[in-house]
Amino acid sequence: MNSLKKNKSFFIIFSIMIISISIISIYQYISLAPKKVVAIIPEYSGNANEFNYLVTDNLSYWISKVVQITGKVTQVNEDGILLNGTIYCQFENKKDIQSIIENQNIVVKGKLVGFDELLMEIKLNQCIIIQ
Amino acid sequence: MKTTKILIIFCVLLSLQLQAQKYFTRSGITQFEASEKAFEPIEAINSSTTVLLDTNNGNIVSQVFMAGFQFKNALMQEHFNENYMDSYQYPKATFKGKLDNFSIVSLNANNSYDLNGVLTIKGIKKNIQTIVSVKVENNRIFISGSFYVNANDFDIKIPSIIRDKIAKQIEISINYELIEKK
Repeated sequence: MNSLKKNKSFFIIFSIMIISISIISIYQYISLAPKKVVAIIPEYSGNANEFNYLVTDNLSYWISKVVQITGKVTQVNEDGILLNGTIYCQFENKKDIQSIIENQNIVVKGKLVGFDELLMEIKLNQCIIIQ
Repeated sequence: MKTTKILIIFCVLLSLQLQAQKYFTRSGITQFEASEKAFEPIEAINSSTTVLLDTNNGNIVSQVFMAGFQFKNALMQEHFNENYMDSYQYPKATFKGKLDNFSIVSLNANNSYDLNGVLTIKGIKKNIQTIVSVKVENNRIFISGSFYVNANDFDIKIPSIIRDKIAKQIEISINYELIEKK
């Protein structure tokens, strides 16, 4: 009799523990912040001209994908740079741009948000300098 | 002969002048807020909005990429793109409109303008009428304001289980800093 009672209370405590652990982990899962670009493996890494061609071919595939692009800086702005005149990279941290000069070769990683029809360029955001 | 030459030069100069009258940004801020009181905040910020303003006539066009909206919560961002906005099929929202009676010359410190135009989300067009504040400082034009849209106007289907947690009227706020386009 005594051992049965003991068993019962153990069972109750155990189930409460399991339930609370699962509630906490579910809550943590649903409240996760979006992954940063740094932490995502790029879907594509390569040359700006080639990538430009790939995007023109199938834009919807590349939307929201993280890519790593090598290219020549053709314009430096306050919040981003233009690669090969066709890919605009908006930076996460504006301080990163200070070290960039026009005409240098650069490797950047960023998330593709779309093709800008007003300015006719591909747009990446949350960019970071790789090299 | 001479007069035609002068006329041609004049026309070329004039067209150059007209071309220089555009202001733009690639990093305009567009936010939306659809929170209901007592529930989790539903809001996101897009700081990659492209905006073009023709200062000759006040015509304005802008473009917001859905994939550029950043949420605090990853799951919410995923649902926004996949379930509500179909971001892969409709990657952007556009706005085409006009600032009524806009004139850069008469702009000084702070002015309010009527902004009328057509907002296209998920391929559905809707007229928007709002008042925005416009000011010029150091050859930059600042435009800011906010307006409301209804989710069901744009065929955004919200499942009944969470309908109470999302506001029916979604507030969209804009904050753009335009520089001269060379």
